[in-house]
Amino acid sequence: MPRTTTVDLPGCPPLRALTFDVLGLVKVVEARTKQGGVPKVVERWGEPDSSKCVLAASMNNSQSDPLLAVARRNGAIEVLNPLNGDLCVSILDVSDAGVHPENDATVGLHLFRKPRLGCASRTCTLLTCTTKGNATMRSIEVANSSADSASSGSSRTWNVCASGNILCCEVDGTENYSLFGGKGVEVNLWDLGTCSKIWSAKPPPKNSLGIFTPTWFTSTAFLDNNDHRKFVTGTNNHQVRLYDISAQRKPVISFDFRETPIRAVSQDLDGHTIYIGNGSGDLAAADIRTGKLLGCFLGKCSGSIRSITRHPEHPLLASCGLDGYLRFWDIKTRQPLSAVFLKQHLMDVIFDSNFDDQEESLPATDLLVHEAQDTNEIVINDETGIQRVKRKKAKKGTRIVMDTGVEDQGNFAYAIGKVQREQLHSIFDQLLEREGSRVLFA
Amino acid sequence: MGGKRKKSESEGVLGDEDNERSNKKEKKSSTKKDILPSMIKNKEKRSAIHAKIKRDKKLEKRKKIKSRDAAEERALELGEEPPPRMVPRTIENTRELDETVCRPDDEELFAGNEADEFSAILKQERMPKILITTCRFNSTRGPAFISELLTVIPNAHYYKRGTYDLKKIVEYANNKDFTAVIVVHTSRREPDALLIIGLPNGPTAHFKLSNLILRKDIKNHGNPTGHKPELVLNNFTTRLGHRLGRLIMSLFPQDPNFRGRRVVTLHNQRDFIFFRHHRYIFETKETKQSDSKGKAKKAKDGKGENITEQRTIARLQECGPRFTLKLISLQHGTFDTKGGEYEWVHKPEMDTSRRRFFL
Repeated sequence: MPRTTTVDLPGCPPLRALTFDVLGLVKVVEARTKQGGVPKVVERWGEPDSSKCVLAASMNNSQSDPLLAVARRNGAIEVLNPLNGDLCVSILDVSDAGVHPENDATVGLHLFRKPRLGCASRTCTLLTCTTKGNATMRSIEVANSSADSASSGSSRTWNVCASGNILCCEVDGTENYSLFGGKGVEVNLWDLGTCSKIWSAKPPPKNSLGIFTPTWFTSTAFLDNNDHRKFVTGTNNHQVRLYDISAQRKPVISFDFRETPIRAVSQDLDGHTIYIGNGSGDLAAADIRTGKLLGCFLGKCSGSIRSITRHPEHPLLASCGLDGYLRFWDIKTRQPLSAVFLKQHLMDVIFDSNFDDQEESLPATDLLVHEAQDTNEIVINDETGIQRVKRKKAKKGTRIVMDTGVEDQGNFAYAIGKVQREQLHSIFDQLLEREGSRVLFA
Repeated sequence: MGGKRKKSESEGVLGDEDNERSNKKEKKSSTKKDILPSMIKNKEKRSAIHAKIKRDKKLEKRKKIKSRDAAEERALELGEEPPPRMVPRTIENTRELDETVCRPDDEELFAGNEADEFSAILKQERMPKILITTCRFNSTRGPAFISELLTVIPNAHYYKRGTYDLKKIVEYANNKDFTAVIVVHTSRREPDALLIIGLPNGPTAHFKLSNLILRKDIKNHGNPTGHKPELVLNNFTTRLGHRLGRLIMSLFPQDPNFRGRRVVTLHNQRDFIFFRHHRYIFETKETKQSDSKGKAKKAKDGKGENITEQRTIARLQECGPRFTLKLISLQHGTFDTKGGEYEWVHKPEMDTSRRRFFL
């Protein structure tokens, strides 16, 4: 008899994650406690177009004014609203007029969380870095409605490497320092305030056979949010290295991990655990103080890992890569929590930290699923109900369905979509007066 | 063949008979339990009993089929709908649910196809041009296999490997406008691996190659013509399988000469890809004359009807190598063992179920 049952993965705590793929799509994955914590794709932004392949993404998670910046293959950098995917600003990254964007792709993008000095309130500051080493810091006016506002404000460009290719770029937690490294480029630290190089690494010595492995950094991460002095890097030569700029220019600790290049490195909040992902889909946790592997995350992960992100609150890790799956892992047990198949090769994943589980910003179909739970809520707690109506009013095609046993009210339900906003309130109050009325939103 | 099919197409099993049979079976199995052949120590007796049990089983099976067919016929005569025939439970049709199986209504899939590395070749903007080479040391079966591959794949060119690095060969092939490189790896004079590298930046598929039978070892083999073959890809259902199918498609020209009646089949079953190469022919035949192929059944048909009727039958003649491939890894980009990224690698922890397939 074949085994027909499958092992169910335990669900996730409520979360919201954004993924970016090679067709330039941004997909929003949400998990809610109501649905048993099974993450689902709730929204998809953009049309599939390979020239708009996302290369890097960064997000400002502030409560009041969240923003999402996305760098695309055709050289465009777009600033989106991470709540609904509306395009705020789109600029074309043309640092040198002669360079084609395909030949000088953006590798790093950082959206500053704190406003930089001398900037107005409604501007956002971006740091971009291209393969050839052109780092640009620019501030852009963000207009809420129009998407046509061009790059205004200050922009400053400097070159971070003379030769070689930049492959990774990282900004520390205080947003004062930035780290660059790549193929043929030793990691170097720049002060963003003055745009000057303050430190660069030295290659490790030749080994006992006199063999020198060429420099090729593929990923970096700062260990601590408030400390720019310690950072880990992953190399193409499957080495993970810890650098401490206050100690020495050579790596403090370096250890090997498996046999394929390290593609992603991410730090934990505790400041000493790091997560490593490599080119053949192995994901592991390591303690960087000792350089010992804590354990691997096992679970049918078959494609190269491109991005690892730690959830800011829950003990949770998200990884994505070339196998097209977004996977969530428990940090403590290192067991998979769930996996979502997103069809394309994924480039990046970002958590939205101010996601509210109770908030019902779901599309219409999901609301219908929960209608049974909502039936009594309206009668008991009319305040929340009215709030919902207020929010729903903004969308067109609002529909109220009544179910009090009278048949003609079904027709009434569809007619109400055309009712004016002012009338909606009065109708709603009438509904509330009835005993046992069911008000549903769809 | 045809006659038998016709009978079996009208299908059905009578319920009551089935019950009877199962009862019988139970009885038998209970008696069997007492004297299991494996419990008998005398080999002669054991094998005798074993043979007897086997024979009984065979007879019973034959009887079962006969009664089922009879029941079907009866139902047809009475004008009833024959009961649906049981579908055997196989490993394939109890396959584990896989969410990566491609759906025909998936617009992202088509957009992804548009954007992938093979779309230029599959849209006939580029002609496929294949470079075939070997591992460093090859002899006997390796070159023989390659010479047959050269006849199978049009516009394929064999280059001696020499002592060049594979990366250098890829570079060279890129400069010479090749669209793919195939490397046949031999071990102990037997081809055992196949590497297909898409160019200029296509993926690299690494296959295990087994059960290689060359043309001259196939009985009644034919010799292929120089026409461009047709290509049949079976059961490449998942995303990974789809991608692999497109990689294989990009090796062949997209405008087959149907006159050549040559067909190359790659059939995927349980993640093994079976390669076959045939010539086919459609013949109109009068059924009365039974020739070497039809034999007994046709004769029976003829007796029953006594009319010569014209029928079109397809005949196949196998030509050219026969082998089995199994995917080991699919690498992103061209061949690079040290710095390569994999789109899919087989890992031991995936093998926790016999019913999980990836292609």
